[in-house]
Amino acid sequence: MAQIQTACHVVELKKINATYLRLVLEAPALAAAARPGQFIHIRVSDGNEPFFRRPFSIYRAQAGKVEIFFEPVGRGSKLLASRKRGDVLDVLGPLGHGFTPPGKDVKQVVFIAGGIGVAPFMIFSDAIKEHKAEKILLYGARSKAQTFATGGLKKNGVKVFVATDDGSVGTSGRVSELFDRVKASPDTMIYTCGPRPMMAAVQAFARTHGLKGEVSCEEVMACGLGACLGCSIPTVNGYRTVCHDGPVFDLQAPVFG
Amino acid sequence: MPMKLSVNIGTSVFPNPVTVASGTFGHSEELYRSKEVKCLGALVPKTVTLNAQQGNLPPRICETPAGMINAIGIENAGIDAFIDNKLPGLKRVGVPVIVSISAHNEDDFALMAEKLNAAGGLAAVELNLSCPNLKKKILVAQDAEATAAVVRRVKAVVKYPLIAKLSPNVTDITAIAQAAEGAGADALSMVNTFAAMAIDVRTRRSKIGNFTGGLSGPAIRPIALRMVCETAARVRIPVIGMGGIACADDALEFLIAGATMVAVGTFNFVNPRAPLEVLEGIKAYMKKNKMSDIRELIGSIQR
Ligand SMILES: Cc1cc2nc3c(=O)[nH]c(=O)nc-3n(C[C@H](O)[C@H](O)[C@H](O)COP(=O)(O)OP(=O)(O)OC[C@H]3O[C@@H](n4cnc5c(N)ncnc54)[C@H](O)[C@@H]3O)c2cc1C
Ligand SMILES: Cc1cc2nc3c(=O)[nH]c(=O)nc-3n(C[C@H](O)[C@H](O)[C@H](O)COP(=O)(O)O)c2cc1C
Ligand code: FES
Repeated sequence: MAQIQTACHVVELKKINATYLRLVLEAPALAAAARPGQFIHIRVSDGNEPFFRRPFSIYRAQAGKVEIFFEPVGRGSKLLASRKRGDVLDVLGPLGHGFTPPGKDVKQVVFIAGGIGVAPFMIFSDAIKEHKAEKILLYGARSKAQTFATGGLKKNGVKVFVATDDGSVGTSGRVSELFDRVKASPDTMIYTCGPRPMMAAVQAFARTHGLKGEVSCEEVMACGLGACLGCSIPTVNGYRTVCHDGPVFDLQAPVFG
Repeated sequence: MPMKLSVNIGTSVFPNPVTVASGTFGHSEELYRSKEVKCLGALVPKTVTLNAQQGNLPPRICETPAGMINAIGIENAGIDAFIDNKLPGLKRVGVPVIVSISAHNEDDFALMAEKLNAAGGLAAVELNLSCPNLKKKILVAQDAEATAAVVRRVKAVVKYPLIAKLSPNVTDITAIAQAAEGAGADALSMVNTFAAMAIDVRTRRSKIGNFTGGLSGPAIRPIALRMVCETAARVRIPVIGMGGIACADDALEFLIAGATMVAVGTFNFVNPRAPLEVLEGIKAYMKKNKMSDIRELIGSIQR
């Protein structure tokens, strides 16, 4: 970790659809160091409101640039959405422990994502493009507007299956409707990221079928560096910080209460 | 013109007056190698307790106007694990180390001091007195007698300079400060967080798992500054000032008010480079005002 705090230029900030924006930052050192599943911690305000930085998964890291995909849900992310090309942002990263790449013997790689939780799987699919395993994405979204650009994943050879709450695209219902696409085999590796109930469902499913996997968790963060112990979540090994011990944990580690 | 920035606490010398507040500074080895850390006047890791503590139920933090509330619950692996696993790395940084300890009773405080004596190589020990006072339903730091008793007990065994860290949740902090001084404290560290809470109006639940927590950050700075100013005028021992320091001007306020050292706490989370920027800013201020010794700045408030 050469330079963990960097001033990055905004190269592009674009609305992708009704729900999501893509932010591209000029950040060569960060892009070179970034690993799938890691995140960056952005100071969204120049003043004290809102006070904390905001964490975002690295969506892509290539050619000296780091990209994130985000949804303006509250004060911080809306402020970020109002930034302009050329603005300079104070960015910490890459932070946290990312995904463990699938071993050579893995025959099926399953990404299971809900909403914006799909973001880290873009960079992950870039990283394992050459891996021989079958790769599928089971994607749950509220409606069609959220099923953005899974095109990039498709280009990386990932088969995409969608479930929407309102049935506007793909299967109607929860992402768990798609679990029958998962091969119940010791050579299957599951990676999941999304809302807590979804991750809990994936955890239960994997436990029932004895499948291996990893999960990327979320928690409100202050430091993002493992210093404040503010983002700790209960795991089978006691409290662990999402920012430093995670955000990626063994699928069976977090205790989703 | 050479500039003298070093300050003393008891018999220990610190290369400059800028440090970090306990609980706000990480343990990561990567961080230790950075210039930001090597420039500090002292390192103060998170408070350790005699036995491991798992900490409070999440959520443990929430942001508030210009600050935050935390109720971490002193999550730590216990003093033996700290001495074995964390302390060696901290010492290798080459910056004086102040270890913060807390305990449920005077015997445990004394036992921890002995363990730190054996470990060797510290610049000071800080007593986090925001711990329950078992005899009364308040914190040790809220009771002058209990504060004096803990300080006296530890002072009798500890071989390092001793710092008493005070809570602002009292009627008259100068009374507690004087009690600590009278019992032999070599310095005071102030202030800890202000008891506070925040409610999620949607769920009508506290935003903090522990129900209440402690407020810190720029929001508390003016109150912390007033307390430091009043206390520095009443005691002869050095005061380490903290509470919402975000930049050099904030730190200068505390130094001018009478603090001998200043600590950056919560703002480390917003800007990890803040301590370095504070130090650079203090130097620039001294240069501009033709000061050659930090002591010309300390307590220089005009009345
Ligand atoms: C490791 C990690 C990776 C993330 N990656 C992305 C991403 O790629 N794209 C994206 O759009 N979002 C991502 N998030 C979530 C993002 O950080 C939050 O949406 C953002 O912090 C909300 O800030 P706000 O000021 O807009 O909302 P606020 O006004 O603070 O809150 C709005 C709502 O979001 C919730 N919230 C606030 N902070 C977080 C948080 N850190 N995690 C989860 N919920 C939160 C609040 O409880 C509230 O319900 C990630 C979070 C983590 C921890
Ligand atoms: C997340 C967090 C954890 C803290 N943990 C400790 C601790 O373990 N021991 C202690 O003495 N003070 C602890 N504090 C208090 C700080 O050291 C400091 O006294 C207080 O936050 C005021 O300074 P600030 O506003 O600059 O943060 C903690 C504060 C925060 C925000
Ligand atoms: S946010 Fe501070 S430890 Fe994770």
